[in-house]
Amino acid sequence: MNIAIDRQTSLPSRARLADFYDRYFEALDDLRLEEWPEFFVDDCLFEVIPRENWQAGYKLCTIQADSKGMLVDRVQGILKTQVYAPRAFRRFYSGLRATGRNNNGFIETRQNVIVAQTLIDGPSMIHLCGVAYDLLEEAGDGFLFRERIFVIDSEMIPNSFIFPA
Amino acid sequence: MDAMVKRWDSEGSTAVPYWVYTDEENYRTEMNRIWYGPHWLYAGLDAEIPEPGSWKTTTLGERPVIVARSQDGTISVVENRCSHRGVKICLARSGKDESFTCPYHQWSYALDGALQGIPFRRGIKGKGGMPKDFDPKEHGLPRLKVEVVNGVIWASFDKETPSFREYIGEKMWVYYTRIFSGRKLRIIGYNRQLVPSNWKLMMENIKDPYHAALLHVFFATFGLFRPDQKNALEMDETGRHACLMSIMPAAGAGENQDIAASLPGFDASLQLADRRLIETVKELTGDETVGGSTIFPSVILLQQVNSMQTRQIVPKGPGSFELMWTHFGFEDDDESMRARRIRHANLFGPAGFVSADDSEVMQMAQEGYAHAPEERSSIMAMGGAGVQSEDHMATESAIRGMYRYYREVMGL
Repeated sequence: MNIAIDRQTSLPSRARLADFYDRYFEALDDLRLEEWPEFFVDDCLFEVIPRENWQAGYKLCTIQADSKGMLVDRVQGILKTQVYAPRAFRRFYSGLRATGRNNNGFIETRQNVIVAQTLIDGPSMIHLCGVAYDLLEEAGDGFLFRERIFVIDSEMIPNSFIFPA
Repeated sequence: MDAMVKRWDSEGSTAVPYWVYTDEENYRTEMNRIWYGPHWLYAGLDAEIPEPGSWKTTTLGERPVIVARSQDGTISVVENRCSHRGVKICLARSGKDESFTCPYHQWSYALDGALQGIPFRRGIKGKGGMPKDFDPKEHGLPRLKVEVVNGVIWASFDKETPSFREYIGEKMWVYYTRIFSGRKLRIIGYNRQLVPSNWKLMMENIKDPYHAALLHVFFATFGLFRPDQKNALEMDETGRHACLMSIMPAAGAGENQDIAASLPGFDASLQLADRRLIETVKELTGDETVGGSTIFPSVILLQQVNSMQTRQIVPKGPGSFELMWTHFGFEDDDESMRARRIRHANLFGPAGFVSADDSEVMQMAQEGYAHAPEERSSIMAMGGAGVQSEDHMATESAIRGMYRYYREVMGL
């Protein structure tokens, strides 16, 4: 009972959150894309949305998945169907903080994210830059994403956007 | 260094020299003869500026413009730079105002571009000010010719451009009104990407049914487009505009499987984990499941599954262009249709399952043209040398149509 009350009111430590996010970004940076959906609950919501849409109340995303199955489909699409030049994609986050709990007791977090892309024969470039507003559910020692909403400042995406962030 | 020899020796349009995609001087001629010539350019959807005073900024060719709705509801397109010292007036993407004021010396303009205020025009305490013969009527923001056609705003720099309907021709009008029937539109949002390739490659891409089932493995794999499905490729009389329509047969229709299975990359074992990604509700008239129109030179109007978009092309020199995606639905869409359109938008845009392929390949093409562009030509001979409507996908007829017109207008 006491633990349940604690979970409603107290927020997880920065170290516990950082451990979760480090593992998440590591899986993506290492291109272990099959593991990506496993960081989410089944009825999750994942969005990469341009800031101009976010601010205007327009719902269009650059990538959207409103189920874990759709994350699986994104991975299948990337690995088995899409054509793109080889590249490295690396994510850097800062300012990670739990900002509160919502009415269902899920943990709200935010963090800034920069995604660097390196194409063959090219310099490493900032591909995307933005802020993520997430909703986490406690799962064992760690967490699962209920929601990850990555609002990208990027007004003009340098050509294609292949791997998620 | 020797100057590059720009030759286009072959007749017709089955071969397009690589320099046509890379040459700076040729690009400048395109700007003047095509983008600022007697052609209609896509400037937006009227649903983007719904109320009197609503405005948006965009770029037509290389020129920034303001698209605004005046108090009486009429829509104007004016150049976005102050008549005084050339300062860009509106910097935001959109807004709502009673007038426009230049930030530098506060010259102000009506929503239709008329110059209506000059601070200290008569000077200060009798000193200075503008000359007495300075006429504000002659210094409004330059206005473009405008037509609003079933919810789409079209603008032209050339006052001699014929009416929009005449410009696209009766055949294209049929496809245009399939989506833009006059039903009120609702904006869903934007995606913007900078594609490092020549703008004409984007036009070619949507005029090219040949690539659809080959490059886009996603289509064949998940049953959205197959090489043997019923196609209709139509052009206007000039050949500059085209529409590719297609009917996807019911899933699993026996004989189709063989051709799909012969495609490189096809894996019959792949299944979608969540079919809502492509599950479509029929909403337009006719049996066609895909319709993509290229309105030369500036925009693609495309419908597939329950996604509808305009893709506006903004050239940025011979080697790159901005692609501005505006997704829309209809004002009377219910909640489930709104959600479906956003889900289906996963196929399109910079991260689209069937669009990122295109922007990647366009970059690869531009890289191919970059070196010794005078030596080789792009081959567009699929389906012969003619420019005619076709009912199959093994043709580059509509690309030839565009270059036939291009050679005329460019004098090449």
